[in-house]
Amino acid sequence: MSRITIIFLFVCSVLSAQESKKLIARQGQVSFFSYTSVENIKAENNQVLSIIDFNNNSIAVSMLMNAFVFEKALMREHFNESYIESDIYPTATFEGDILDFDPNSKTIQTKIIKGVFEMHGQKEELEIKVKVANNNGVFSVSGSFETLVKSYDINIPPLLAGNIAKSIEVNFKFEYEPYEN
Amino acid sequence: MKTKTIICAIVLLLGCANLLNSQELLDILKQEQKDSARYVTPAFKMTRIAFGHSTEVRAKGVLEFFTATRFWNFPGDRSESFVADKVTTRIALEYGITDRLSFGVGGTTFDGLFDGYLKYRLVSQGKGQKTNPFNITLFQGASYNSSSGSIYSNNASISSDRFAYTTQVLISRKFSKKFSFQVTPTFVHKSLGLNASDNKNFVAIGFGARYKIGPHMSLVSEYYRTLNPVESFDTFDPFAIGVNWEVGDILIQLMLTNTRNMVEDTFITQTRNNFNFKDPNLHFGFNATYVIHFNNKLKN
Repeated sequence: MSRITIIFLFVCSVLSAQESKKLIARQGQVSFFSYTSVENIKAENNQVLSIIDFNNNSIAVSMLMNAFVFEKALMREHFNESYIESDIYPTATFEGDILDFDPNSKTIQTKIIKGVFEMHGQKEELEIKVKVANNNGVFSVSGSFETLVKSYDINIPPLLAGNIAKSIEVNFKFEYEPYEN
Repeated sequence: MKTKTIICAIVLLLGCANLLNSQELLDILKQEQKDSARYVTPAFKMTRIAFGHSTEVRAKGVLEFFTATRFWNFPGDRSESFVADKVTTRIALEYGITDRLSFGVGGTTFDGLFDGYLKYRLVSQGKGQKTNPFNITLFQGASYNSSSGSIYSNNASISSDRFAYTTQVLISRKFSKKFSFQVTPTFVHKSLGLNASDNKNFVAIGFGARYKIGPHMSLVSEYYRTLNPVESFDTFDPFAIGVNWEVGDILIQLMLTNTRNMVEDTFITQTRNNFNFKDPNLHFGFNATYVIHFNNKLKN
């Protein structure tokens, strides 16, 4: 009896492991904007990684800071060396859950993702409204949010305070494919 | 009883496995990202350390408007000049043809020197395995001395003597977030024109370093050792210590130095002052660079 239970549980666990359905996006797009009267700054990163685990509807995002491309080449150097310090903090990450998510729905769902965004060594709790689309099994997640520069302990020289917006707009779009371990 | 504990243990384990599962997401991404995380920020922000070139090359479509000025006083305390007795300025335009290759042309007021250079970034430093531990940049410069006075008055008729050529291999490494170091083997072909027996080929080695003291500010120092200096008059090795201030599109360098020349062949072979705080040996230097981007990287 006991052996049967154990075998049954073992089979269950193996099955559940196989069922653990993960999706990965390898070329996610993240861009950010800073609008001020002095200067508009825009940067794009098209190699952002993201993964979704349908077992518990959790989602994670990881982006290399040096993969952000700016209009001005020198701005990228300043960004990496003086502001975001990508030698020490090479990536920004997000880890959270898609609330009330139904993986089987075929319609476009508007959901809230709640989680922790970490950049420049600083953690910030975010609630982001996203659109989740399931286009014949190809999932995509897109949305935007605003976040305050001062939350991330970034040193901005007083002379340039007027060039960098206090609130940065972030847009993102991920298209997922099945993840094979 | 025993079976119950085993079942409990398995259920707990399964629960743990599930928990691990959610924590692993970022680890999976970390694994995926491993290969691309090899970028090292440039060893130097500016194309100059102090008076000499750094391994840094400007990106494609970037134009730099570069001005370098040196101020110094004559000896004696009765100088009545405002700010400084003597000033020399080099004005130059430097342009990135590709992300690796850039050229520059400039002119200096004090010695009437016109110069041009080509600079090519051979390799960039990366981190991790199978990447290069150094930045290596090749530099080839040429200058033409147009002055009627100075050392050229003796043999002004030989115009080929007015040309000088400098070849450099710039090798740098960013050792830590704050500290970068550069070694620069240099070959100069230059006729100083004072004495026919003077050598025309010079070998020198340059050392330069940067230490960041803030996110936008760094201390720099540079020194060139000439291995076979000219013998018919006294020359000294150029040295500078300064502060670089790197913000936005404007890059500013302030320095104290013993050389008033700003082109490689001249400061390496004909610096006539030693470094000390006595006039006219002490020169205050000011470099300002304004960077203009003609190429929008986002539209590629």
